[in-house]
Amino acid sequence: MTRKRPLAVEDHERRPVMSSARDRRVVCHRAGPLLRALPACLLVCLAIAGPWLAPHAVDAPVTAPFAEPGAGAPLGGDQLGRDVLSRLLAGGRELVLSALLIAAVVTATAALIGAVGALRPAVGRVVERAADVVILLPAVLGILLVGLSWPGGGRLAVVLAAIVLSLPYAVRLVSSAASLVAASGYVEAAAAGGERLRVLVVREVLPNLRATLLALFGLRFVEAVYVVSTAAFLQVGPQPPAADWALMIRENSPGILLNPWAVVAPSLVIGMLALSVNLASAALAPQSGRQAVTLR
Amino acid sequence: MAGDLTARPVALLARAGLVLLKRSALLCVLLAVVFLGVEILPGDAAHSIAERGETAADLARRRELLGLDRPLPERFWDWISGLPLGDLGTSARGEQVTDLVSAAFPNTLLLGGLALLLTTVLSLTLGCWAALRPDGRLDRVVSGASTAAFAIPEFVVAVALVLVLSLWTGWLPAVTLTDAGGAPASWTMLILPALALTIPQTGWNTTVVRAALADEARAPHVETAVLDGLPPRRVLTHHVLPGALPTIATGLATSSGVLLGGAVVVETIFNYPGVGAVLASAVVDRDTPVVAGVTALAGAVITCALLAADLVRGLVTGGVR
Repeated sequence: MTRKRPLAVEDHERRPVMSSARDRRVVCHRAGPLLRALPACLLVCLAIAGPWLAPHAVDAPVTAPFAEPGAGAPLGGDQLGRDVLSRLLAGGRELVLSALLIAAVVTATAALIGAVGALRPAVGRVVERAADVVILLPAVLGILLVGLSWPGGGRLAVVLAAIVLSLPYAVRLVSSAASLVAASGYVEAAAAGGERLRVLVVREVLPNLRATLLALFGLRFVEAVYVVSTAAFLQVGPQPPAADWALMIRENSPGILLNPWAVVAPSLVIGMLALSVNLASAALAPQSGRQAVTLR
Repeated sequence: MAGDLTARPVALLARAGLVLLKRSALLCVLLAVVFLGVEILPGDAAHSIAERGETAADLARRRELLGLDRPLPERFWDWISGLPLGDLGTSARGEQVTDLVSAAFPNTLLLGGLALLLTTVLSLTLGCWAALRPDGRLDRVVSGASTAAFAIPEFVVAVALVLVLSLWTGWLPAVTLTDAGGAPASWTMLILPALALTIPQTGWNTTVVRAALADEARAPHVETAVLDGLPPRRVLTHHVLPGALPTIATGLATSSGVLLGGAVVVETIFNYPGVGAVLASAVVDRDTPVVAGVTALAGAVITCALLAADLVRGLVTGGVR
């Protein structure tokens, strides 16, 4: 009450108190979005090529258990004395490939259903209800359910469960972005001109959602890394003695004081992977679709 | 006027009843999907604990003991009609799931509730703070940090916290010890697990708060308040925040589900005596009914959180009128 500083000083451009998120992004996202996506791409490529670069076999001991970093093993040994660096290089490929697969399938399916949902409100309503139901199921529990009731499902079970669980949100997001496009004059004109639904979706709506879909792909990838690695941490998916980042963290935490690198290194790469892809997708997000993209 | 006063509570009650009905129906649909999904996938409870060398007759006998030989609709009705009475079903070993989780679930609720409280306070504070200085350095740092934070899995955050706050500095205990009643022995043991859950969710909710405030700031009534020369802080608390509350409440309610899922993971890291431990042994035993029972429980909790968000929405829109 005592501070009666007039607003006019900071309000000289007749802006509201808080400028919109949109204004903010225009300022800070001029630095090439492709440059911002570079760390993520490098990391993904490294994870996929990793198994070929590993200097030692991933399942043979080369040091004492939990040995500190030394000459033969720059990151020391794990709980069985296996080389941490080799297991680190080898342990990301399946995670990254699963996440890429999940993100690609979810984005492609969501693009089609979402665009149809924007043009046909009945489909949109079904999607809304499905998302309302899926919200009640924590992703981790969903994955556990599918992983356990499908013995022998392995990676496939985890991937399928992740796809099914994240599809409703993704469709909801695409259809909200697509409904803006669908309401624009040229789509309405094409619809009034008697174009078929398939043509409307593929030729008129989807090409205008490229940026939204790219950002969605990035966010789904981050979410998939979260879900697949968390499932692996809970022992659903890869089984020992396989090299897997999440499994490494679980197996080696008892020796965290003896050789911290056996736990810290896989934690760091999972964190960096999630971070870099998240920042890349934030950079790729369209200015207008951004709000919708962030509000899952 | 008098008619108006009596009619309003009735209309409000009717609306509340409708929302309650809708949320319960959605929960029932989820339970049906979970039950059917478990049914359709290969392998059942009798199969999961089968030992090597068991004959088909042994398997059939256990199916009969667990009641798995009865028709599907009958079993579904048994399961879902028991849920409201607190009967979560029978595990593959024939134990009552309710007995397995009754001691552990309050601990998980305590941990999740604490994390939700911390998330609410932190994300509202950070979001409002950033919104008061739009485009400033603080705003950029907060939005950058929150985008970064919500990408990182809880177990990675937990490992970092244990390493720094417990093993290197020795400030906080790295594992949870329990007292005779099965609850955490000291409140300091709650801090690290709660922080591991709070940090990613604060990142997510700060983004939601910031975006909701920015949206609401574009509303005409806010512009009027600004042109009236009200101080920014008052505009924020009296004109922007109320309109943004429903979105923020929904964001937090959605977080409660993620918090419950994350709690399962974080509990195993800190050896916390919650549902996570029950689920971990269920994973080892491949005991699907236990996971299904816990899922039903989690669904009910999330439904309550969403109902609370509905209530906030109702109060805000009702208050404006």
